Amino acid sequence: MLIVDFKPEKKQTLSLLGRIKVQVLVMLSVLALSLVAAQLIFAADLATDGAKFAGIEEELARLETQNSSLRVEIAKVSSLSTLSEKAKELGFEKPQQVITP
Amino acid sequence: MDRLKIFQILIFVAASVIILRLFYWQLVSQIGQNATSAPQDEIPAPRGEIFTSDGFPIVANQEAFLVYGEPHEVRASANVAQTLAPYLVSEKFATLEASLSDESKKQKEEEIKNRQKEIENKLENRNLLWVQLARKAPRVAKVALEQAAGIGFEPDPERFYPEASMAAHVLGFVASDKFGQDTGYFGLEGFYDRLLRGQPGKIRRKLDPFGLPILVDRYRQLAPRSGAILHLSLDRVVQFIVEEKLKSAVVKHGARDGTVIVADPQTGHILAMATYPNYHPGARLGVDEQLYKNPAVADSYEPGSTFKLFATAAALELSLVTPETRCDVCTGSRQIGGFEISTWNKKYFPNSTVTEIIEHSDNVGMTFVAEKLGIDRLYDYLKKFGFGEPTGIDLQEETAASIREKSDWRPIDLATASFGQGIAVTPIQMIQAVSTFANGGRLITPKITEIIEDGSRQQRVSPDQDRQIISAKTAALVTEMMTRSVEKGEARAFAPKGYKIAGKTGTAQIPVAGHYDPEKTIASFIGFAPADDPKFVMLVLLTEPSSSPFGSETAAPTFFEIARELFNYFGVPPQKE
Repeated sequence: MLIVDFKPEKKQTLSLLGRIKVQVLVMLSVLALSLVAAQLIFAADLATDGAKFAGIEEELARLETQNSSLRVEIAKVSSLSTLSEKAKELGFEKPQQVITP
Repeated sequence: MDRLKIFQILIFVAASVIILRLFYWQLVSQIGQNATSAPQDEIPAPRGEIFTSDGFPIVANQEAFLVYGEPHEVRASANVAQTLAPYLVSEKFATLEASLSDESKKQKEEEIKNRQKEIENKLENRNLLWVQLARKAPRVAKVALEQAAGIGFEPDPERFYPEASMAAHVLGFVASDKFGQDTGYFGLEGFYDRLLRGQPGKIRRKLDPFGLPILVDRYRQLAPRSGAILHLSLDRVVQFIVEEKLKSAVVKHGARDGTVIVADPQTGHILAMATYPNYHPGARLGVDEQLYKNPAVADSYEPGSTFKLFATAAALELSLVTPETRCDVCTGSRQIGGFEISTWNKKYFPNSTVTEIIEHSDNVGMTFVAEKLGIDRLYDYLKKFGFGEPTGIDLQEETAASIREKSDWRPIDLATASFGQGIAVTPIQMIQAVSTFANGGRLITPKITEIIEDGSRQQRVSPDQDRQIISAKTAALVTEMMTRSVEKGEARAFAPKGYKIAGKTGTAQIPVAGHYDPEKTIASFIGFAPADDPKFVMLVLLTEPSSSPFGSETAAPTFFEIARELFNYFGVPPQKE
């Protein structure tokens, strides 16, 4: 039974038009397959980029937090109440006269 | 059964399992959810900061967190409560333990205990899936509880005030509204709330089982728009000087409270605005809510003699009098409409000129000027000077201090209004009106914000109105009278030597249930300097001073003390010896 199934078929000859059609079909199939493969590769790549993206987001948040804490620290030490206390400690006095050039 | 069949069955079963599983994930698991959209998260927009004229952030944002618990997952609620509670006590205890008094330490411990109990109760309610434990908790609280099971954190930034209570009445504060959203109340925070809060962003994305975003499919992000930044005309140094001097004046003169406003008369920009007692906008727990509103714009008072300037200016403008016109009714007290009008010290100056009437702060003399004007003209000029209407300053709680209808005025109202009784004004209205004498007759809307920075767009805040209401000549004449009033008036001994200052004292009685309180007064001094080229216009107001009821002995010395420091700061040398 198997021998019958795999019996070589009778060789058929195609016309020129037929051969061109087959070539076009093959090319289109290859192109379609390549596009599908490319889409799969890019999609897989993008999907795994989520980890990188999350890392960048985390770093950004960390830097923003650090930046705002530093700004708060700078504001604290440069507040007039802090500066006037320091000036008093160092013996500075308020000017009593206006000095003009 | 041959092996091929078994192989076919296995492939069929495996394929069926995969198809069924895919069917489950694609369809069954989506039932009940909106299958067409991915979950959305809100990205909070940072609230806009506020800067003084020297670029210093007088209101900044500080990182803080909302702490929540999932009671069914929390294992040690007592431990969580014990760790979290100390970070949630009032800011008034946020000083070094050693510098706290015994009483404060006791109060602090009590508050911690209460907080602890409150948190424990919340976490032990197993019927709740999610419960909010604290808002605006500091980062240290997050670090301490990060590993605790069932406890989570969300960003919940809070306002930070590097200069503590400085300009608190101008700034206002941020608190939660009924939906738990940060909202500005009072002052600039209230007035510019919509601009300051910005626009929260939205993020729509799917996360994989590890919580990482999947960048394919429906990933969309709408960036938040930060709140607008306010750049104020408020000068931090002037504000500091004013607050320091005001506090010591209120204490020294035993006043109930005090208010000072300093403005640039040429632009209407406010350089300083302070009231004492004040409060810390970041530590309001236990603060009397009456302190929240800004008395400089929200409270009205009877201005007393400082108001004499406006009736005089109107009469001069209409050429009804000149500075040399002599008063023919100034020989003694007068009866008008059944009421006696007398001078504050019962001294009378027959045939005084209008300049001398201002110099002596003569009430009887003012009735002479008022009668020349008549009700219609005085009323119209008071309206021109901006009385009876809000000035339009950019502070939320401004009131108008309305003037009653013209038709309700009687002759006695004309007389008393001319020397500032029976009429109510706000301190900011007085600053706006007196600025007209300093700037050549222009009425300019006072503003505190100079520039609003919204993203890359910068918008300059211009006054709502800038119009000529009296001539430059009249303004100069009134200025000259004010200068004479300082040089020859009761307060001349306190004035800094070598400077030409234009000013006027005021001592107003306080109306109580249909009559005036015999002892309590509101003492004030309003003026500008240097008189020829004014750098500032200033009002000092002391409520119920106990050292002396008179403005010349309380408010005027405070004005001159502040003015002395401002001359140094602005680099104004003395002009005369």
